[in-house]
Order: sequence, then structure tokens, then C-alpha cells
Amino acid sequence: MSNENTAGVDTDRIKKRLDSRKAKMKLSLAACAHCTLCAESCFLFNARDNDPTYMPSYKFINSIGVLYKKKGVVDRATLEDIRDVVWGRCVLCTRCYCPFGIDIPEMIAFARNICREQGVFPDYEEKGSIHAG
Amino acid sequence: MVKAKRKPLEEIADAISAYGKVLTVGCGGCVSVCLAGGQREVQELNAELELTLKEKGTSKTLGNYTVERQCNMDLLQEMDDMVGGYDCILSMACGAGVQLMAERYPNIPVFPAVNTVFIGVDRDIGMYEEKCRACGECVLAYTGGICPVTRCAKGLFNGPCGGTNNGKCEVSQEIPCAWLDIYERLKGQGRLDDILKLQGVMQWQNQLQRTVVQPKFEKRYYK
Amino acid sequence: MYDFIRGPMVWISLAIFFGGILYQVFRFLALSRTVEEQQIKRPTGLVAEVPPAGTEGFLYALKLSIFRTNPVMVVVTTIFHFCLIMVPLFLLGHNILIERAIGFSLFSFSESFSDFLTWLFLFCGIYFLYRRRFSKRVRAITSRNDYLMLLLATAPFITGFLAYHQILHYNTMIVMHILAGEAMLILAPFTKFVHMVYFFAVRFTVKSEWALGSGNRTW
Repeated sequence: MSNENTAGVDTDRIKKRLDSRKAKMKLSLAACAHCTLCAESCFLFNARDNDPTYMPSYKFINSIGVLYKKKGVVDRATLEDIRDVVWGRCVLCTRCYCPFGIDIPEMIAFARNICREQGVFPDYEEKGSIHAG
Repeated sequence: MVKAKRKPLEEIADAISAYGKVLTVGCGGCVSVCLAGGQREVQELNAELELTLKEKGTSKTLGNYTVERQCNMDLLQEMDDMVGGYDCILSMACGAGVQLMAERYPNIPVFPAVNTVFIGVDRDIGMYEEKCRACGECVLAYTGGICPVTRCAKGLFNGPCGGTNNGKCEVSQEIPCAWLDIYERLKGQGRLDDILKLQGVMQWQNQLQRTVVQPKFEKRYYK
Repeated sequence: MYDFIRGPMVWISLAIFFGGILYQVFRFLALSRTVEEQQIKRPTGLVAEVPPAGTEGFLYALKLSIFRTNPVMVVVTTIFHFCLIMVPLFLLGHNILIERAIGFSLFSFSESFSDFLTWLFLFCGIYFLYRRRFSKRVRAITSRNDYLMLLLATAPFITGFLAYHQILHYNTMIVMHILAGEAMLILAPFTKFVHMVYFFAVRFTVKSEWALGSGNRTW
């Protein structure tokens, strides 16, 4: 949606970032068959009572997938949602399994990159956020 | 990050031989990244233990769990309800994680399942190289980004020893001399002056247990 | 019209299908490169640990794979993909048409066996549909596109099945069957079905923890 309130977000810069790795990102998003076979390879998925929002596929679809779909035109709230996914639900242990070999950790790291560049990142000093990152 | 390697299976099996219910705990931090102690290694270790136990004609209850980081007390907390059902814990974390686990559950024996080896870099998938010995007194600024504590067999600070031979270390002809590399790197950057200054004696800090407090937090923690 | 879709259009579809696969393969190759394998010397005194007996077998490997966590899905998806390729390739009706067109064809399954495999395939499809609809974790990442993909993959089988058994109007069914098959061939390389290329391209050549074989490519 182009009527998004994008105040405080440098959408051109996000677009530029996305373009820099567009081919691989596109291919990765396209190759994901939404099969959920990656779920159990995430130890957090197992430790959090099989909560689907911890599935590697869920995390990459709801971070880089969203940014790609909206072509970088997102509001700050969306970036903050993405932050909660890529930092709050992933520790980048880089061990997820994908039947098609999609490099999910790279995509998550990429999303972190974009968020950080927009000044959206976890507040490590906040009590209770200690598990992030 | 911290790099580790799993202990020989026999040693692990020996450590837990007296216990019937064993909980193997992985760590999602460094040991996961270096393929030594993540969730998958926990499952592999348990599967291998099962086989060796079967060979010996015994069996145990082998539980498995992986936490985000064993070096953080808040993150260990989620295991509180679980550990009561086990006789001992096999921790696949680094030495820090094992110790914090043992501190949190002082009544349950905690055994390490990996050897914590060094702080290093990822050279390739499954191959890691030592880079840092955590000496607490970083000298990389004047050594061109090459660590003499890690790389030089004698940990010298003011140039090579007399044993350097055609760019190799006297310990082995296969080990390059760290100080030659430092010299070449600095020469390339036009910074040879850096190593002409005499460096004082290292205040070896790693003889005593250390605690790191980030400057921002000094007010908070230092009395 | 009928002559076109059962004649030239088939060849066009096949050309797009294989052309699309080639395009995806080259795209993958352009995005990746080979890396030199690092070789280091084994430190003296370091002996290789011998894993306990029983760790070499296929069954043991299965135990540590997704087969342990998702056995039903692994079996179903294997059957599904096996049928997806084998049934059209070795179907008697297809092979008669191919024989007439180019004077050569592969051997054929018996009609009853193909019928059985089609049943099997459709049951697997229903299982997928069930997962998409009712499994919490699958629902979490399901979009409308996923249903369309499932329809695209099963449509040739559904229509072919109905036509073979002369259920509903045969002529309509056979036309729909041909169109569905062609649509699948044309769209496969450019939609989510690209995972068929990706699976072989990535898992067998890219160096990773989950690599099948010892590929030394990297992104």
C-alpha cells in the first residue's frame, strides 16, 4: 500500500538495499514451498511449545518477505514488527534446515541489516530484553 | 566467537555411567554456530550414547533440550521445572555455560560434553581458526592486526626471537613466524615505526578470574 | 483449437518448461561461484574418533533427519512427487500419442497401475490440502498462492482421472486435462514450483551443513 505512513523511514534506502541482493532474495522467497519442514530444526521452535511464529520459514517470510513484497515502502511500526521477529525470535545460530537449501539465516541477517540502517534495533539495556541477539 | 569441539564419546559415556536419567542440554550461542553443541549435536550425541549403551547391555533415559544461551542466568531459568526429573546434566555449552548451569543447579551433577578450545573465526563450514586468547590487554593496534599472543609460540611483544628461520617458527617448520607476518603487514601500511617503540611488560590478567563491566554500566556495578 | 492445444501447444509448453529450467539453472550458477577447498594438515597425535557401530546405516541417518520429526509428511511428499513425475511419463495413453507423433516412446505402466498411482497421488494432495487448512504451523505461513499451486499440481491428475473414468463430459474433461497439463509445464519454472530446480541445484552443489554430497559452490 502506498498510502502507508512512512514518516521516519528512508524507503529509498531500503529499496536500494533490497535491490543489492534482489536475485537471491527473490529466488529464496519463490523456492520456499511453505512446507514447514524447517520447523523442528529451530531449537527455539521446540523450546517455545512449537509456536509456529518461531519457524525459520515464518521468520524469513515475515521479515525480508514483507520488505520485498512492499518494495521497501513500509512504516516504522512494520519495521518494529520485523525487529521483533528477526531479533526476538531468532538468535542467528545459523543451523536451520531447509529441504531446498534456502539460506534462511542470511535472509534474517539481511533484514536485521535493513532495520539497523533505519535505526530500528533492540534495546539491550531494557530489562527483559536480555535474550535478544 | 567461542569455538568448541565435542569430547570423545567414551569420555562422555564414562562421566554419566553412574546416572540413570540424563538431560543433554545444547546452547544456541557460539557452540551452535561452530557445530559443536547446538540442538542437532544434542540429538546426535544422544543417538550415539544410546548405541554405546545398547552395546554394553544397559540403557538410560536420555532427555534433550536446547536453550538460547547457557551463559545467561535468565535464559537458564526456563529449565527449572525440567531438571528435577534428571539425575545429571550433560552440558554441550562452552566452559562458561557449563559453570553457570552447575551454579544454577548445585544439587545436580553437571558434566561438560564439549571441550572449549578458543576464540576464533569461521574459516569454512566446520573449520575454525584460533585468533584470540582473551589476554585482556589487546596489542593488535601496533601489531598490524596480527596477534602475537595467539600466533607467536612465545607470545613475544617486541619482535621475533632468535629462532625465527626463513619466515618459520623454531617450534615447527610448518608454523609461519608471527613476527615476520606482523613486519610485512606493517611495512605494507608504512607503519614500521609502530614496532620500534619498546612495549612494556604485559600485565597478564588471565591469571585471576576476571569480570567484564562495560563502561556504561560501571556506575551501576562498581561500588 | 483442439488440434492446436493437443499438437503444437504441447511442444511449446515442453519447450518453455525445459527452457525455464535451464534459465533457472543458469540464474543459480550466475548467483553462485565455486570456492577452493581448504586443506590443512592433521595435527600430530590427533586420532580420528571411531563412531559407535550402527551409525553408518541409512536408518540411523533417517532417525536424525526430518523423518523422525515429520514421518508422515516425508512419506506422503515422497509418494506425491514420485507420482507427479512417473504417472505422466509412463502413462499408456500419453505414450501412444508420443509414439504416433515421433515414432518412439518409453515403456508404459499398465492402466490399472497408473490408475492406482493416480489415486495415491490425489490422496497425497488431499493430505496437503488438509495440512494447509488445519495444521496450525502450516496455516501460519499459508497464502492464497499456496492453494493455487496445489490446484495447479493436481488439476492435470483430477481432470485426467475424470476423463479416463468417463465421469462428467469426456470431451470437456480431456480438453481441460490438456490445458491443465500445459499450464503446469509452462508455469512450473516460474512459480513456487521452482523448488524442483532449487532442490537439486542447491542441496547437491552448495557447501553447507545440510548439503547432499560434497559440493563446493557458495553464494
